[in-house]
Amino acid sequence: MVRGALFKKLLRDMNKSKAQFISIFIMATLATSIMTGLDSIWFTVENNANAMYQSTNMSDLWVTVMNPSEQNFWGIKQIDGVTHVEKRFSMDVDTNLPKKATLHLYALDEGSILDQPVLQEGRFSKSSKGVVLDSSFAKAHNLKVGDSISIKLNDVWIRLPIEGLALSSEQVYSVKNTASVFPDPSTYGFLMTHTSVLEKAYGQKIYNQISVKTEPGANLVSIVQKVDKVIGNKLIGITLQENSVSVNSVNGRIQQFKALALVFPLLFFLVTALITQSTMVRLIESQRTQIGILKALGYSKLSILWHYTSYGIMIGVLGSLAGLMVGVNVFGKTLVPRLKLMLSSFSFHINFRNFLIASLLILICTGGISFHACWKLQGDTPAVLLREKNPQKGNRIFMELIPSFWGKIKFSSKLIARNTMKNKVRLIMSIIGVTGCVGVILAALTVRTTLVGISDQLYGDTFTYEQKVLVDSTKTNSYYLRSLGLNGITQQIQESAIEIILPSGEHKMEPITVTTKDSPMIHMKDPEGEPVAMPDNGILMTRKLGKILGVEQGDIIQIKRSGKGYTPVQIVGVIFMTSNQGIYMSDTFWESLGETFSPTGLLIKWNGTPNQRFLARDFVVDSATRESLQTGLDSNMEVINFAVVALILMGASLAFVVLYNTSILNFVERIRDLATLRVLGFHYEEIHKLVLVENYFSVVLGIVLGTPVGRFMSWVITSTLDDNMDLTGNLVLPDVLITVITTLCFAWLINRVVAKKMQEIDMLEALKSVE
Amino acid sequence: MEFITFENVEREYHIGDATIKAVNGISFQLKRGSFNVVLGQSGAGKTTVLNLLGGMDLPTAGRISVNGYEISSMSERQLTNYRRAQVGFVFQFYNLVPNLTALENVQLAEEICADPLDAREILERVGLEKRMHNFPSQLSGGEQQRVSIARALAKNPQIVLCDEPTGALDSETGRKVLRLIRDIGRDLGKTIIIVTHNAPIAEMAQTVLHMRDGKIAEMKFNEHPKDVEEILW
Repeated sequence: MVRGALFKKLLRDMNKSKAQFISIFIMATLATSIMTGLDSIWFTVENNANAMYQSTNMSDLWVTVMNPSEQNFWGIKQIDGVTHVEKRFSMDVDTNLPKKATLHLYALDEGSILDQPVLQEGRFSKSSKGVVLDSSFAKAHNLKVGDSISIKLNDVWIRLPIEGLALSSEQVYSVKNTASVFPDPSTYGFLMTHTSVLEKAYGQKIYNQISVKTEPGANLVSIVQKVDKVIGNKLIGITLQENSVSVNSVNGRIQQFKALALVFPLLFFLVTALITQSTMVRLIESQRTQIGILKALGYSKLSILWHYTSYGIMIGVLGSLAGLMVGVNVFGKTLVPRLKLMLSSFSFHINFRNFLIASLLILICTGGISFHACWKLQGDTPAVLLREKNPQKGNRIFMELIPSFWGKIKFSSKLIARNTMKNKVRLIMSIIGVTGCVGVILAALTVRTTLVGISDQLYGDTFTYEQKVLVDSTKTNSYYLRSLGLNGITQQIQESAIEIILPSGEHKMEPITVTTKDSPMIHMKDPEGEPVAMPDNGILMTRKLGKILGVEQGDIIQIKRSGKGYTPVQIVGVIFMTSNQGIYMSDTFWESLGETFSPTGLLIKWNGTPNQRFLARDFVVDSATRESLQTGLDSNMEVINFAVVALILMGASLAFVVLYNTSILNFVERIRDLATLRVLGFHYEEIHKLVLVENYFSVVLGIVLGTPVGRFMSWVITSTLDDNMDLTGNLVLPDVLITVITTLCFAWLINRVVAKKMQEIDMLEALKSVE
Repeated sequence: MEFITFENVEREYHIGDATIKAVNGISFQLKRGSFNVVLGQSGAGKTTVLNLLGGMDLPTAGRISVNGYEISSMSERQLTNYRRAQVGFVFQFYNLVPNLTALENVQLAEEICADPLDAREILERVGLEKRMHNFPSQLSGGEQQRVSIARALAKNPQIVLCDEPTGALDSETGRKVLRLIRDIGRDLGKTIIIVTHNAPIAEMAQTVLHMRDGKIAEMKFNEHPKDVEEILW
């Protein structure tokens, strides 16, 4: 900064144009804070998750196989790149707690070193028969160390003392299965114990999973292929760390915030640049004579240039520092805990590299623009600068080419039209401001509507059953279920996960639903909304899953058959589902592959009241009404509502700062014209109209342009939200209307404020002072 | 009753701790349809008289009535309406709206007046029929002042206030502008008040108010006002 007299001049100039410089500061702060804030969210999650994975010694892949033999175990251990192998038992178990809470049980061997819990309280002793319980589950059920918990294993209820409370790397994002949208610690959690405990229920130690740790950078694809060979037909599935539900969800969050940190701040950077441009151009124009005087006094070109550039740089530096504070504290620290991630540490990590990028961008938007605005005047000699500037020219605009139209409109409309077109930077600035406001608000509302709409599409359109009854497939079969003759429409389904091999050779474990060919309770539709029937020879795949796996209709994938090798099947159709991504196939096709259709569930639309006697049968594991599933989905909108409010506030601030500034600029630039009109007998309201109608013009254009921007933003948000959801972020009319009305209300409010401000300035005084 | 009456009018300004009486108790009366000049050096208080007459300022004491309106006791809104209906202004620096053509500048009046004159006719009357679609920046100073006169008259006001209308013009153009103001005023029966420091102009007026230090030093009635051509400056 230039010290002394010029620096004092800088501070006084800024004080004079307070509103403008404060606006630039606010925009610069918002731009950096949003970028730094969103950035630090994923950075924090990534750092803390990785640290947690490392400290718990998380496996790189898990091989699910029923009762693995010693040969299996040693076979995997011999594979190149594998450093450590362990056996464990992993499955969901029922509890006797309210809400039919389920726990995922991990039973480890006593010498286990992989997938260890992160103890929060108590201990995880190697010899005892106790358990370590999910700490948030414990909190939701008011359980403490020293209490005990009952679980059902192999149809035997066993009671286990709680020795410790902990977190798990595999349950950072803790959802029961891919059908659950949000974690709910009151219904789902995990439990960790030792395999010796299983003896109570099974009479012996049993295992169903082999955890594998590999060398860093090992070729996982080839390891998976070798594992497949070693296990052979007994293989149920192989899950890579990155594909496990929790890790996948955490990575999804990281990707989402990376995308948001890129898209959202853009608008704010743009607006910062535009406001700086208009403010500095006006400041420098108005100081034309002063620049002449400074030059005449002997100040060098460089020091004058630096003087005016430093206005921008000062605001830019202050704005980015304030942005760092605001971003980290307001966006980062409030949003991270709302992501429902159970990380062992929430220590905040700031991505300084990206903060520097943001600061640099802001400095270009403020300092760079100021430099550019001043640069233009540098060529003139002091004598030229000290002379009065030529009067501004009037100009014709395109509308005048249509005389029939131009001749009819009122003079005031002509004035507004010409003036609007004359100052294009101002017009563009206000249009961008409103576009941003509309885009942000529309995106927020659309995302909300889309999320609320998941359950409508799923449970209003696709699934039409009243009750879903889960049955134990080992205790019943398709024929028996059919012979029950339940009073109502029923549909049998078999839900599980299946190991598949993609055309690329990659192994994946994906959900599969096998059901009857005539599907009265599940109505599948293709992405265009046309009904799709269950095919006889081939499978259906949901669009989103196809996209994730990189396969299309017509591609052939291989699916693992129980106790046998892989069979190629063709994807004959793509279906659209907002949630419940997976593979769907008919029971006849399933059986034609040599498999048995053994239902795990029954979808029922009762003819009258539900058959209670049936629901009490021993093979009925669980049942849920469609309403309860739907409300489960609808609940937990807290984070979304929070985000919607935050985004609407952001949009409002964008509109307010921009429109307020452009209006004041518009007014100040034309104060002499307007004063003349005042003298001629125009009332305040008429003068206000001349200035403020322009705002409605940019509001209308901004709404038109902002709608596709909002569409784009909601697409970015919804498509990165969750791999398990296929959301399009399509606009709906009510949201568009709410956005339009909200924006118009903002514009009206801003115009009221500006009108009040205009009234404070004595226009006649401005006119008189000229003489 | 006279058309314009000033009765012991005072106007004080406070600049810092100092109180300045820009107008210090003046009284005068002017007739309808008359051509008048307020003469004085800068600081004599003549612009304040014009501002008061034009409803742009209120007196701190005294009474002003114009055409039967008590403008000294009007509200802000009433003053605006008074300016709208009763007063036409011609400024030293024209003050045309740069974004409107000559014709459109005159049409301004049509939008706010109950009984405006036809903008084209009045522009023809001031001799600008060929220039009416030009923007102010394309017109010479004299032409701009003529547009400004046309704009003042198009409102069909009762009084026309001219603040140094020739101040920014060369003498030949200034003469033409003055003649135009006088002729149109006479033809349309308007009361004209010209404020100037240029003494010779006073010779063409029917009434001359000579101001000095906020007071009327002399009030002169010319039985036979001179023609513009006879004036030298």
